[in-house]
Amino acid sequence: MRIFIFAFQTAFKNLWIEKWINFLTVLSISIGLFILSVFGVMTLNMDEVLKRWAKSFGLVVYINDDLSIQKENTLKAGFEKDPDIIGVKYISKDQAIKDLRNIMGKESSILEGFDENPLPSSFELKLQSDLLMPDLVRAKALQIKEIEGVEEVQYGEKWLSSLNTITEIMKISALFLGSITFTAIVFVTYSTIKIFFYRRKDEIETLKLLGATRTFIRFPFLLEGLFLGIAGGIISSVGLFGIYSLITLKVPEFMPSVKAIIVSLPLSVYFIIPPAGAVMSFIGSLIAVGKIRY
Amino acid sequence: MIEFSRVTKYYDQEIVLKDITISIDKAEMVFLAGPSGAGKTTLLKLIYCAERPDEGKIVVAGWDVRTLKQRTIPFLRRNLGVVFQDFRLLKNKTVFDNIALALRIHDMHPAEIKEDVYEVLEDVKLAHKAQTYPPHLSGGEQQRVVIARAMVAKPTVLLADEPTGNLDSDTSFNIMNLFRDINTRGTTVMIATHNEGLFQGSGSRVIHLKENEIDMETVG
Ligand SMILES: Nc1ncnc2c1ncn2[C@@H]1O[C@H](COP(=O)(O)OP(=O)(O)OP(=O)(O)O)[C@@H](O)[C@H]1O
Ligand SMILES: [Mg+2]
Repeated sequence: MRIFIFAFQTAFKNLWIEKWINFLTVLSISIGLFILSVFGVMTLNMDEVLKRWAKSFGLVVYINDDLSIQKENTLKAGFEKDPDIIGVKYISKDQAIKDLRNIMGKESSILEGFDENPLPSSFELKLQSDLLMPDLVRAKALQIKEIEGVEEVQYGEKWLSSLNTITEIMKISALFLGSITFTAIVFVTYSTIKIFFYRRKDEIETLKLLGATRTFIRFPFLLEGLFLGIAGGIISSVGLFGIYSLITLKVPEFMPSVKAIIVSLPLSVYFIIPPAGAVMSFIGSLIAVGKIRY
Repeated sequence: MIEFSRVTKYYDQEIVLKDITISIDKAEMVFLAGPSGAGKTTLLKLIYCAERPDEGKIVVAGWDVRTLKQRTIPFLRRNLGVVFQDFRLLKNKTVFDNIALALRIHDMHPAEIKEDVYEVLEDVKLAHKAQTYPPHLSGGEQQRVVIARAMVAKPTVLLADEPTGNLDSDTSFNIMNLFRDINTRGTTVMIATHNEGLFQGSGSRVIHLKENEIDMETVG
C-alpha cells in the first residue's frame, strides 16, 4: 500500500519537474481525443438521421383481388405473428383509391372512368431495424411473395442499398479514424514515458540493485502515463462540451433546418473520453516501460 | 551463507574468475584481498546477481543463484546490503532520501523509516548532512552515505567493495568498527579491498585473489 503512495509522490514530482514536455503531451492527447470525439459525435448524428430514414422504410404487399375477408384476416394475423415484422397496416381497396384521389386532386376525375375500383388491397409492413439489409430484405420479400393470396411485394430496393452504403462508409471511416487516433495517442505517451525512463536509467539501475521489485519501478511511470491520458481526456471533454453547446445553441438561429439533425449528446459521452484517454496512454506507457530485467 | 563451488566467470572470452570455491558461514567476517583488476568486484557482483556465473554453483542465503528467476532477484537482494565501489547514489535526492529508498523498497512505514535512517546517519556521523545532495558532499562523506544505505535495512549479508577507499585512517577505523559491530550482531560481512592495513591484526579470514584465482587464504 505504501509503495503506491510513494509511487504517487514520485509520479507527481516528475510530472511537475518535466512540466513542459508533459504539457505538450497532454495537449497532443487532448487534440487527438477531441478529433476522435468530434468524429464520433458526427457519426452519432448521422446515425440518428439514418435511423429516422430507415423508419420510413416499408414493404408493400399487394394481395389477390378475389381474396375473402377471412383469408385477408388470416394473412394479417400471420404478419403480426412474424417476429421480423414490427408493424402491419392494412390498406383496403377503398382506402387506396381515396388516397390516390387525394394525391391526384383535380386530376382525379380520370378515375371516374372506371366502373370498378382497379386498385388492390394491400398491407404495409415495417421490418425490424436490424433486418434492413438489402439481402435480408430481398429474402424476406421473396418469402412473403410465396404466401398464398399474395400477388406482389414491392419496396425501394435502390433506396435501401444506398442507405446501407452510407452506413457502411460511416462505420469504416469511424473505425479507420479511430484506430489512427488510438495509435497516435498510444505513441505520444509511449515516447514521453520512454524519455522519462531513459532519463532515470541510472536511478532505475540503482533501484534494481537495492532490491526494488518490477512493480515498484514501473508504477510511477504507469501513473504518469495514466495521468497524461486522463488530463488530455478532461481537456478534450471540456472542449467538446463548449463547442457542442455553441453549435446547438447558436447555429439553429441562422440555420433552423440544422436543428432537426443535431441530436443532444448523452452526458455519458463526456465521461467516456477521459477513461478512453487513460486506457490509450496506459497502453503507451506499458510498452515504454517494457520488460524490466535484472 | 555464501557458497561458491568451482565458479568461473568470463567477460567476453576473457576469464575474470577461475575455479573459485569459497564457503562463508553465517555471521562470519571475511576479507577479499587482491590487486586492482583481480576480480574482487566481479566476485561480489556474482553474489548480488548483477552478474551470472558461466560455470559452477553459487548459493546465497539459501538461494541458488543459477536457477533464480528474474522476479525473485529483488527478494534475494533485500537480504543483502551492498557498499558499491562506484557508490550509486542518486544525485537528485537528498542524503536522507537516498538512504530511505532502501527502506521504502521494503514497504516500511514512513515514521520507522525516519527513525532508522537517522540512526544509521548517526553511526556514520553524517546526521547534519541529511538534507544535503550527494554532489555537495566530499568523497569520504559520500562513501559513508553508501555505507549507511547498505546497513540501514539490517541485511543478513553485508558486502562492502573498497569501503574505505576514500576515507582517512581515523574515519576508516571508525567504519571498520561499525562493520565489526554489525558483524557481532549476526550479520555476515564480506569486505573487498586492496588495502592490507584493513585486515592486518583483525583476526578475520582473508581470501587472497590473484590473477583471477584464489591464491591463498590467511588470517589477518
Ligand atoms: N563489465 C565488464 N566487462 C568487461 N570486462 C570487465 C567488466 N567489469 C570488469 N571487467 C574486467 O574484469 C577484471 C576484474 O575486474 P574487477 O572490477 O572485478 O576488479 P577488482 O578486483 O574489483 O579491481 P579494483 O580493485 O580496481 O576494483 C578487470 O580486468 C576488468 O577490466
Ligand atoms: Mg573493484
